[in-house]
Amino acid sequence: MFGSNILEIAIGIIFVFILVSTICTAIREGIEAKLKTRAAYLEQGIRQLLHDTDGTGLAKALYEHPLIYGLFNGGYTAGKQNKSPDLLAKGSNLPSYIPSKTFAAALMDIAAQGVTTNATDATTGAPVITLDAIRKNVTEMQNPEIRRVLLYAIDTAKGDLNKAQANIEDWYNSGMDRVSGWYKRSTQWVILWIALVVTIALNVNTIKIVKYLAKNDTQRKMLVASAEAAAKDTSKQIGYQAAQTQLDAQNLPIGWDNDCLTSAKMDPAAPNSFWNTFMGPLLGWLITAFAATLGAPFWFDMLNKVMVVRSTIKPNEKSGEGAPKDSQTPQVITINTNPPPTGGGGGITDATADQNPPPPPDPPAPGDTEPDGCGVTSTDLTGDQGLPESKGGMI
Amino acid sequence: MAFSLTWLPDVLVNAGLKVAESPGWETRGHGDMGNVLGVLCHHTATPGKNSGNMPTLNTLITGRPDLPGPLSQLGLGRDGTYYIVAAGKCYHAGAGLWRGITSGNSNLIGIEAENTGGRDDSPWPAVQMDAYHRGVAAILQHIGKSADFCAGHKEYALPVGRKSDPDFDMDVFRAAVTDILNGAAPAPVLIPVVTPATPTQPARATLRRGLPNDPALVKIVQTKLGLTADGDFGPNTEAAVRAFQSQHGAVPDGIVGPQTWLMIDP
Repeated sequence: MFGSNILEIAIGIIFVFILVSTICTAIREGIEAKLKTRAAYLEQGIRQLLHDTDGTGLAKALYEHPLIYGLFNGGYTAGKQNKSPDLLAKGSNLPSYIPSKTFAAALMDIAAQGVTTNATDATTGAPVITLDAIRKNVTEMQNPEIRRVLLYAIDTAKGDLNKAQANIEDWYNSGMDRVSGWYKRSTQWVILWIALVVTIALNVNTIKIVKYLAKNDTQRKMLVASAEAAAKDTSKQIGYQAAQTQLDAQNLPIGWDNDCLTSAKMDPAAPNSFWNTFMGPLLGWLITAFAATLGAPFWFDMLNKVMVVRSTIKPNEKSGEGAPKDSQTPQVITINTNPPPTGGGGGITDATADQNPPPPPDPPAPGDTEPDGCGVTSTDLTGDQGLPESKGGMI
Repeated sequence: MAFSLTWLPDVLVNAGLKVAESPGWETRGHGDMGNVLGVLCHHTATPGKNSGNMPTLNTLITGRPDLPGPLSQLGLGRDGTYYIVAAGKCYHAGAGLWRGITSGNSNLIGIEAENTGGRDDSPWPAVQMDAYHRGVAAILQHIGKSADFCAGHKEYALPVGRKSDPDFDMDVFRAAVTDILNGAAPAPVLIPVVTPATPTQPARATLRRGLPNDPALVKIVQTKLGLTADGDFGPNTEAAVRAFQSQHGAVPDGIVGPQTWLMIDP
């Protein structure tokens, strides 16, 4: 049981991480939609790629080229001239993505028409685009770095226009990898901050949840059941709403009560101490926040890995794929209740079974539906005056 | 004719517990029980932490419109008093499985302990939890079972997760029951019948509803509590004592013992 419990706790925690990171990602998406940081990064990446740091030359020409101008509203204004863009740089209305084919086509067209030619006077005596014409124009470009890149692309294409375009696309793509790198790093920073806020706002304390799951069998099994359902869902997509509802439904020791201090404490019953009221919650929140930074996809993969490990430990779960089984079926309890007849291995030792054979349980009587009145809402409450007289408990 | 669980009050009183029999309990039940194989622990989840000692008692006896009572054999009040509801079968278990028992209503004695099941009522009052342990231990000892045959409703109920009561850890609970069964637990704390004399007060008897109380002492209590001093310790006086005790952080059992005497008339 030891290994299985540990794994179940791990599954539960990973599932909580998935839900929290989904919420964080959703918030990040919202911020991104507002600020368009990706567009700012792309713009800066293109300026660096084209060696046009102030955004007045080739980068401006590229953004204003009809092929790319159509991708966004309004006009092009160069962003700030930093070494790397801010965490939350505003991309205003620039495009978030420029396809490499479009970029290459636009750049070659600019090269063919000459840098000084802008879109409006391209009609006058427009030259036919051939590699030779482009090469001739490129040699006259003012931008020596780009001149070298383009000449290299044209010369290695050996007269094939498509090959030249492909070369430019490759060059652009390697530049875009860098942009993606920047963006990923900045996103992780932003998500870390979001995660910290979300974790503290929801009071998701990993240490506390682990403790709770370790003690509370029912909640742990319910959480694992939800996690299994999520892992089987091949789309691996949970929306913000779904994530929040799931998190609420798990009945975990998270969230805040009216008494803030008590809900933050590691153990509400224990007296105040450095660990209980300060260090414990802080550490727990940090763990959750850092875990959420890794993102939901990471934790989905992790969940599937742990599920595989678990199914190797619990062989009866593995057959679930062949014969569809209700994931709610309590495997563990089934083992408990069917003790092996005599000394059979694999079961859980039943302390009383070897003392004396218990009288057989009554089979449910026909028509006996086993009603359950527990948890009934009381309609007429019994006041203390209405209680019967008590006895006992005295010397 | 009385049903078979008529031994319940004696077994619980002998374990040092407070017991109150609801009138007519001996003949109450949906037929008689089958073999008694264990105990199923519940909490009532009736909202309102301050709604009284056992506000769910009437519901346990009479049931609800769609399901007639009794709904459990025993109710456990916040002060640790066991209320005997029925001696026959009760509708408390529903579908489930525990140690091969699938017919919980026929094979398990149900104990509904008064608790909201929420954070407002956690942790449980120590006196109630102690009585829960001791009562379950006494019943299991009487039917010759180990603590393994005491299940939480949440553990028994199927499908898993159908029920969440009781809201405490059943493994810890069973460990405490095992200690009592093995004699490893301390003896139960009982209320002395006499409060020793103090420099200012003579020795005074413990007052309790149902005891042959000294009317003079009862009048003192009633005067202090602002009631009509008729010298009769009845349900109203008991309820007033309970209210006084819970205001002053004592166990609200309605019994005027040494602690309550000190608070009420030092």
